[in-house]
Amino acid sequence: VYQVFENVAKKYDVMNDSMTLGIHRVWKDILVHKMNPCPGTLLLDVAGGTGDIAFRFINYVRSVRQRQLQRKLKHHQNLSWQEIFESYQNNKFNNSLGDSQVVVCDINREMLKVGKQKAQHLGYSEGLSWVLGNAEELPFDDDKFDVYTIAFGIRNVTRIDLALQEAYRVLKPGGRFLCLEFSHVSNPLLSRLYDLYSFQVIPVLGEVIAGDWRSYQYLVESIRQFPPQEELKAMIEDAGFFKVDYENLNFGIVAIHSGFKL
Amino acid sequence: VRCQQYPPLRALQASAALRAASDEHKKEPWASSPQQHFESPPAGQQPEEKPQGPHPSYTGQGGQESEDYESEEQLQHRILTAALEFVPEHGWTAEAIAEGAKTLGLSVAAAGLFHSAGSELILHFVSDCNTKLSELLKKEQKLVQLGEAEKKPIDEFLRDAVEARLRMLIPYIEKWPQALSVLLLPRNIPSSLNLLTSMIDDIWHYAGDQSTEFNWYTRRAVLTAIYNTTELVMMQDSSPGFEDTWRFLENRVADAMTMSNTATQVQSTGEAVVQGLMGAAVTVSNAATSRAVR
Repeated sequence: VYQVFENVAKKYDVMNDSMTLGIHRVWKDILVHKMNPCPGTLLLDVAGGTGDIAFRFINYVRSVRQRQLQRKLKHHQNLSWQEIFESYQNNKFNNSLGDSQVVVCDINREMLKVGKQKAQHLGYSEGLSWVLGNAEELPFDDDKFDVYTIAFGIRNVTRIDLALQEAYRVLKPGGRFLCLEFSHVSNPLLSRLYDLYSFQVIPVLGEVIAGDWRSYQYLVESIRQFPPQEELKAMIEDAGFFKVDYENLNFGIVAIHSGFKL
Repeated sequence: VRCQQYPPLRALQASAALRAASDEHKKEPWASSPQQHFESPPAGQQPEEKPQGPHPSYTGQGGQESEDYESEEQLQHRILTAALEFVPEHGWTAEAIAEGAKTLGLSVAAAGLFHSAGSELILHFVSDCNTKLSELLKKEQKLVQLGEAEKKPIDEFLRDAVEARLRMLIPYIEKWPQALSVLLLPRNIPSSLNLLTSMIDDIWHYAGDQSTEFNWYTRRAVLTAIYNTTELVMMQDSSPGFEDTWRFLENRVADAMTMSNTATQVQSTGEAVVQGLMGAAVTVSNAATSRAVR
């Protein structure tokens, strides 16, 4: 698995765009909207390699924070000078992210490197950390994070139950587990078209764009081998999560699973 | 959250039906409507758990979390109650719920437990107020039965009941117009209407069968109109202690009493209801826009 991603790292984003015809951006947007983070949220993005989810999270929190500050300013027009002075003391106006933070964790150094470069290139400086780590054995303490996301990464974990247990461990009580992953298409017609596309088109694209047919063959096969929605839901429940739920996007091509540590 | 509201309301309606023997056949359509709402969960979502006992897979968990011993609905209930404290600051939003969850020691991500955060919070609050009102009325009734208090004349009873219920809104009065407009959203109307009618039912149930001139539907319509119009007046009232509102209420109740003595009461009730609704719609939209601008 490591070598697959070493080869793939640099061309990862390009391949994602061409394979999914750009829809993966929408899927990731939907994931962050579902999360609906408020400022002050601590996010752990596992297998987050090139940082897509992390950047979207930061954008979202930044806009929520802006709205909050605007409301505070409006409210402040009715306050006395004393109260305004006190709020300046508390530095409420300084933090554009409202203390939110993202920790991007990936098993692969190359992916993290590409992610860091992207962050610099796009101008994301604060609230981001990049950590090397294995989803089955996270280098973090218990009860630390508000939200744990794993977008298109859980498929590549050898022991999914271990990853889920680790997710449960590092989440705070009340914390949320969100998993975005390719899943089972139930509609038979769409399923046939999807299979056709996956097995014929994707490896070819892999060869043409990234020069690596075998990694993308692996990718498509791992999607087929991955447990379907209900089974993954049961696994998440087994790890101890409550109110486990999934939402199919595009008829099941992709599904978002959500669970809470209660 | 919705599942929890219905059992106590159904119990009340059942006992009320037993009392008003002649009206029993009229109670049936209303008693069945909560059932319908429960059975039709919003489209595109997983069905919510049934209120009878916790979900089977959760009973298998070890006893590490204290939340095992309370069902998810109870926890959601607690979070929403804690969130009410933050409503004056954040409004009826997911942020208020997130802050509420924080006070309970949970992560702010717990606000994600609620699909339509604002609506659920408001509905929870309304159902809470209704429960508090019926407890209050029950206590008063007990005092009367024990002979420790005088039985109030019907107009005073209605006035006091509506005033008590509206006073519960006072801490949230700033953001209440916002809440009213959310309650009027098409997807919320079934639940909010249900809560409103059961509250009115409640008040009449505890008022007793004193006024035999009214028929059952008229009684409900009249009190609903009184309640709604008084609520709207309260939104725009800036007098100290809301005296203008209580005076308005007194006048409306007096009107309703005199109406019952005329032969044309059914017709004028219909007109009153229509006028009340029209006035309500106009006032709410004005209030919503004026609050939005502010």
